[in-house]
Amino acid sequence: MEGESRMSAETIQKTPAPGEEGGEMPAILRIRLSKKVDCEKQCPEWECLQPSQFDKVWVVGELEEGRVSEPSLQMLTPGLELAKKLYTSLEAVLIGGDREALEKAAREMIYHGAERVHIIHSEALREYMAEVYARVLAAYAHKHRPDVMLFPATMRGRELAPYVANTLRAGITADCIRFDVDEKTGDVDMIRPPFAAIMLAYIKTPTRRPQIGTARPNVFPKPPRDETREGELLWARAEDYGVPRPRSRVLRVERIEKKEIPIEKAEVIVSGGKGVGTHEGFQMLERLAELLGGVVGGSRKAVDMGLVPYERQVGQTGKTVRARLYIAVGISGAAQHTVGIRECGTVVAINKDPEAPIFQHADYGVVADWKEVVTELIRILETGEEV
Amino acid sequence: MSLEMMVGIKWVPNTQNVRFDPKTGTLIREGVPSIVNPADLDAVELALKVKDTYGGRVRVITMAPPSAVKGIEHVIGMGVDAGVLVTDRVFAGADTLATSYVLSQAIKKLGLPDLLFFGQETIDSSTAHIPAQVASWLDLPYVYYVDRVEEVNREEGYAVVRRKLEDRYEWVRVELPAVIAAALKSQVPRPVRLSEKLRFHRDKPLQTLTNKDLGLDPRCVGLRGSPTIVAKVTWMPEVPRKRQVFKGDAREAARWLVKKLAEEGILVREDGRWRVRVA
Repeated sequence: MEGESRMSAETIQKTPAPGEEGGEMPAILRIRLSKKVDCEKQCPEWECLQPSQFDKVWVVGELEEGRVSEPSLQMLTPGLELAKKLYTSLEAVLIGGDREALEKAAREMIYHGAERVHIIHSEALREYMAEVYARVLAAYAHKHRPDVMLFPATMRGRELAPYVANTLRAGITADCIRFDVDEKTGDVDMIRPPFAAIMLAYIKTPTRRPQIGTARPNVFPKPPRDETREGELLWARAEDYGVPRPRSRVLRVERIEKKEIPIEKAEVIVSGGKGVGTHEGFQMLERLAELLGGVVGGSRKAVDMGLVPYERQVGQTGKTVRARLYIAVGISGAAQHTVGIRECGTVVAINKDPEAPIFQHADYGVVADWKEVVTELIRILETGEEV
Repeated sequence: MSLEMMVGIKWVPNTQNVRFDPKTGTLIREGVPSIVNPADLDAVELALKVKDTYGGRVRVITMAPPSAVKGIEHVIGMGVDAGVLVTDRVFAGADTLATSYVLSQAIKKLGLPDLLFFGQETIDSSTAHIPAQVASWLDLPYVYYVDRVEEVNREEGYAVVRRKLEDRYEWVRVELPAVIAAALKSQVPRPVRLSEKLRFHRDKPLQTLTNKDLGLDPRCVGLRGSPTIVAKVTWMPEVPRKRQVFKGDAREAARWLVKKLAEEGILVREDGRWRVRVA
């Protein structure tokens, strides 16, 4: 069957190289079109498809309480960059059961840079079920053959993406912090920190398509919103791709009341580590955070010590944060922690050990007893004293 | 028939102790002790709790070099009944797709359990891929982030589990057999008991499967069966930071900090009060 979105001579003619309208075909497209996979070498359990049959960069968006989620919009940033480098277009994919909400979300994706949005709809998809959504998405991607699929690595994305990837027998790379295109091969480099976050691994999927990657929320900024931007909405009936009978269903939901804003959305974070040591210590950090209009976070060690809940852990196995101001108190600054604060504006470190690696990752460091410094900070902020 | 449960575990280098060779940029694995991936112990605990209530059998399965027997011994010490080691040189170098393929084929060969548990993610790569990938290979329903198994009804073929999301709990009824990924840090894994460990040495409840037993096409496993490849590894680029450091009196330090943050335009003093300027 001919997928409409396959790369063809026509697509290419519509994609002029920058600065040379109607000029030669860009090298990267030539490479992508001529890429050949030796099917004999592939696992015979997989359908052997040629990479040249795949085109477009897709960002799979998600709806949260009927609205497009921030992490979905953030994924349009690397999506746009890849689409440019691959000489193709950026498209978004949405799936669900609420037409109105889907259409609104699709418009947001367009305002943030998507050229086209595929909306896979069915009344049967009103309730999110990972397995059902994943299978419909996989069937849809199998038909339309995107070259690249990006998912936000939210809790949903993390359960959805690997199922979609596996069902397509495609590779998947989780938690990328950068994406690039290898100009020699036309493959996407999915760049992620393996193991301890000191190194970066460039991961390729040379023989399989789509190339699937995820990135944690906040690793990329959201592209600017422009309400005048126009784009195409492509509605699809999920039934045409087979909606499986759900084998699981939600019986009941209980909200977890949250007083504080989630750490990934905080503008100011006061984060504590092993050095803070006690609940009393963290109460002081709470006070400081309160005075700064921020929230408290913690290192993995502080979480392991039961001083901070896991959902407020900053770092590789916790959250990536984008605070304007990040204050690390009593945190030594292992690579697994600092990888989570790369996107922060200003980083302050307070630690009594002058050798602590955190000082290499801070704009302003104070070598002193954290308790004394924080006490004084609280006093200055409470009194409004001039400095 | 009684309830059959299986838990996938991974034998991983303890990343907290990993060091890098700054000259070559490679991992120094020597002397780095391996452990059972901590999140997998949550999965083991979850399965053992179900066994405490409903009886049945809990087995663990791991695809690893033979040294991973140590890990199987550990969880048997916690009360797991038996272990399966899937090991073969051709399985080496696998990415998550090829790993999940071998695991799935081995599980199929052993007979599908009613509940197949995994930890949420591993400390050495934290992709969280394997549970969903195995579910996909075996065409099973799957539920992530489970912190409780509320009910198991084998006769009627369902379980009710609770999953913990960022802002809510969901109680999910799922048909058996099902794949369950335990929520990270959701359990307190029970301690290893010497008597159980002795049982491991006495009864040898360990089964080994190689590719002779599974007969999988070498093109589908290990490095060859992995669609993703690590093309290169580089140092993580540094984020440019000012790296100004104040040493000395703590009170002076606090004033210095406030001054610096005011210079940055983050703190502003208005009407005798300091406040954070909203961007």
